[in-house]
Amino acid sequence: MKPAAAKLILILWCVCALGLPARAETDQEVAARATALDVAGAFSNDGFKIRDGHWVGTIAPNESKTFAVNLYSGNQYWFSIGASQPVKRIAVDVFDETGAPVTTEKYHADGKAAAGLSVANSGQYFVRVRLEEGAPAAICFVYSYK
Amino acid sequence: MAQAIKTDDISIPTPGESFSALAKPTKPDWTASFRGPMAMNYKTRAQIALNLGGLIADGFIAVEAQDSQQVKNIGGDILKMAKSLGVSANILARGNSINQFAENDEWPALQEELEATQNEVKASMQSHRDQDLVILVSLGGWIRGTQVVANVVAKNYDAKLAQVLRQPELVKFIHAKLNQVSPELQNDPLVKTVDQKLQTVETILSTPFGKSPSADEVKQLQAAINQLMQEIQKKAS
Repeated sequence: MKPAAAKLILILWCVCALGLPARAETDQEVAARATALDVAGAFSNDGFKIRDGHWVGTIAPNESKTFAVNLYSGNQYWFSIGASQPVKRIAVDVFDETGAPVTTEKYHADGKAAAGLSVANSGQYFVRVRLEEGAPAAICFVYSYK
Repeated sequence: MAQAIKTDDISIPTPGESFSALAKPTKPDWTASFRGPMAMNYKTRAQIALNLGGLIADGFIAVEAQDSQQVKNIGGDILKMAKSLGVSANILARGNSINQFAENDEWPALQEELEATQNEVKASMQSHRDQDLVILVSLGGWIRGTQVVANVVAKNYDAKLAQVLRQPELVKFIHAKLNQVSPELQNDPLVKTVDQKLQTVETILSTPFGKSPSADEVKQLQAAINQLMQEIQKKAS
């Protein structure tokens, strides 16, 4: 084995053995989370509890991210999205376990969006977030329930 | 939908979510679900992690019961158990917040704080290369929460109430995560038992979307989950 290859294997082994620390969020992701929490905060005035768990990442125009969530019948939910910059339009659509679209209440503003629903049947639901216009942006997904 | 993002943080509901749903069609006696003082002398880190998750679920029960003393007791136990796993000192600050919110009867804030504490424990585990224990904390919380819901539903069965228990995809997700842990942890006798029982639970809860588990299925689930809880909280001899 060439020394360079051996060195690379050693480095990779060390990285695996030591484990990678959890990735720190970028400034853009932190900004996106603040925006998402700002949207969700409005619903907490109506008694919705905000989940601490969230997802952050980057999304390109015309790209979508779909999140699987497990919801309970009888509960009401709001899915809130915040972007790192005032992107023009973010679409949020919800589908049930069978893939059928679910009617939701919508909220839109520059760089923010949300969809709310009352769940009649417990199970897995899919929340699709799509950046319809604007430049690539960091987005954050949080949800709240009551 | 097959490519959907599934993570512990967003795809595993907190026990508080199922309790909130349960409290709509019925008025559960939350204090009846309180447990006595917890043992702290568990044999393995896997057992501690499962019990820590269960303890966090107990915190949600105490919040539903709006019993501030019980919340404080559980908060103290969470700290002790988290320390025995060597998780970071940040948890101490969470413990103080839990006490403060309980003193002031700030129930919605307490729910969020309990989840934040759980996430803090998980983050600390990840940074200490205890990634495999993270799923056990979530799993312990889900099992304890499901035990409480199953007991209430079994006692007052009706199809609408039983809908709260129907979560086949969630069980499948948790089970799949459990099968990804290290072979060493998979060979832990308790983890093996949990794995086997989860298969039973997955089968019982595989009701089609829109249908509720039957009264008989709820009883089977109750029996399986109660047995599982007995195994999880079995004290070291």
